[in-house]
Amino acid sequence: MGDYQGAWWNRLDNAAKIFPPTSSKRDTKVFRFACELNELVDGDVLQKALDKTLEAFPIYRSVLRHGLFWYYFESSNLPAEVQQEWEPPCSSIYDSNRKSLLFKVTYFRCRINLEIYHALSDGTGAMQFLRLLVYHYLLFRHPEDLKNTPQMDYDASFSQKMDDSFQKYYDKNGRKGNARHPKAYRIKGQKLPEHRIRVIEGVVSVKQALAKAHGYNATLTGFLTALLLCAIHEDRSLRDQQKPVVLEIPVNLRKYFPSESARNFFSVISAGYDFSKKPPDFEQVIRAVDDCFQKELTPEQLSLRMNTFAAIEHNPFARVTPLILKDVALKIGYHAAAKESTGALSNIGKISMPQELIPYIRLFDVFVSTNKLQICLCSFEDNLTLSFTSPFISTDIQKRFFRSLTSMGLEVEIASNLIH
Amino acid sequence: MKRCEKCKVTVAGPQEECPLCQGPLLPGEPGREVFPDIPTVYSQHSLFFKILLFLSIVAGVVSLAVNWMIPQSGIWSLMVVAGIGCAWLTIITAVFKRKNLLKNMTYQVVLISLLAAGWDFLTGWRGWSIDYVIPILCMSAMVAMSVIAKVNHLKLSECAIYFVLDGVFGIVPLVFILTKCLHVIYPSMICVAGSVISLAALLVFEGKNMLNEMKKRLHV
Repeated sequence: MGDYQGAWWNRLDNAAKIFPPTSSKRDTKVFRFACELNELVDGDVLQKALDKTLEAFPIYRSVLRHGLFWYYFESSNLPAEVQQEWEPPCSSIYDSNRKSLLFKVTYFRCRINLEIYHALSDGTGAMQFLRLLVYHYLLFRHPEDLKNTPQMDYDASFSQKMDDSFQKYYDKNGRKGNARHPKAYRIKGQKLPEHRIRVIEGVVSVKQALAKAHGYNATLTGFLTALLLCAIHEDRSLRDQQKPVVLEIPVNLRKYFPSESARNFFSVISAGYDFSKKPPDFEQVIRAVDDCFQKELTPEQLSLRMNTFAAIEHNPFARVTPLILKDVALKIGYHAAAKESTGALSNIGKISMPQELIPYIRLFDVFVSTNKLQICLCSFEDNLTLSFTSPFISTDIQKRFFRSLTSMGLEVEIASNLIH
Repeated sequence: MKRCEKCKVTVAGPQEECPLCQGPLLPGEPGREVFPDIPTVYSQHSLFFKILLFLSIVAGVVSLAVNWMIPQSGIWSLMVVAGIGCAWLTIITAVFKRKNLLKNMTYQVVLISLLAAGWDFLTGWRGWSIDYVIPILCMSAMVAMSVIAKVNHLKLSECAIYFVLDGVFGIVPLVFILTKCLHVIYPSMICVAGSVISLAALLVFEGKNMLNEMKKRLHV
């Protein structure tokens, strides 16, 4: 029984620690990254591509386990099977009573879906996995046409991919006090049955959207954040309007601190607007969001925040507290912090693929499980995908958001999952 | 592609209504399908548990009522109610841990041991729980775990922790033997000896791996 030989284990990174205690059926902490091809997907070829991709991402072969003081990843030889999509999007993946891999690869018609438990990786890490998966798939599927395709540009070494960059950049002297923010407006309403989430995605032209954003002298993220803040505000009843609308915005720290990690390396900033104190004018909201980005998105600010969270994990008392108690403390902290935001906006950015593969790919798409309202966006060539997820029956905020885009002259193509 | 005149958007997929405003769509090509249609399935197993729960309540209420009408027969109804409660505790544990058989057994050994000791204590401490229940439970769990591990071809890394836990728990009867509070020592003696042998086997043959496993489980 020599199955221990060569089995490695690994600590969870700082950001990942929050996910196991706070995932539930309602909010599974699973996100999906999808690639839509211009042709139907073949399951057997996809399986071959997956096996090949896994060789380059050994950490994806791990399972999550319970220690006395901390969770940890342990390598496993469980098989990773490609399946035709049969579950609702972002169904739960981690189950504390059963060892299972922390990701799933499914396909439906033209789409290749990669669903990942957030403790394993963030959007940027997952994107590298999906890019390589699609690369291998297309090369296996069209060996003749694509035999001259160059290697993928992501060439991080095994240890670079496994890197816990939070540890690398931790400086215990650079923290800030944990400032409490005012409570934010929270979306209310009936939720969908079976803990389902509704996905509504809109595809728009990158050029048109950028032109609009630049017209307001803003970045695309700033423009869309302001648009969503206004859409949420206009949807509320009068008596709810006292509280500010606040969006959490995950930030990819790899852009500020060099790292090739395929694990989590992100932070979160929040951009809000208090419509009861300031004019509900779109231009004003854009300026406020822009100011907030200018202030928060600096290496110094991000590092302060990162160190604050890392310090908790390095606290000797916290370290020797049994996991059962840590879980309770993290749950309480998480739910308290959740009151400070209305929703979230996550921009994964531009996704590139080798020139030869571009004709085969229509778009990339990303969205995440949530118990609030979240929009995720990513772009490929001229297709910008804006994907809303929410557990609510009502679609009024999404309607307002997309109608503001169309009223500005943008063409939007909508797709949604059916929920009866 | 289909189109919603109100929202000014095109809609892909088989939908007849606009996903944004639920208004009717102007007909067109169905376009690409992005998500499969996954029908909602309402929980199928709950009826069985509802019937079980209802029967438990009926049994509890009936015995309380009958007992109240014939008080000279003693307070046996409380025992019925407590028995039903204990049964539910073990059922709930079994249901929650159903996906991991060995974990389930470890939980049940501890739970049933505690419940047995509790019953013994409340019914005048005749010592049957520590004389028989706890040692026999421990030993049978160890045998059952070995069989399950063998039949399911479980890897040592998956089941070692449960053998260790059951082994350590199986040494507890030694305390009863040493403090001379047992009437019958045979089951306890066999249980302690079996546990020590099982732990020794793990240490001798898999000592290094056990150490690694402990390091992983106990890292701070």
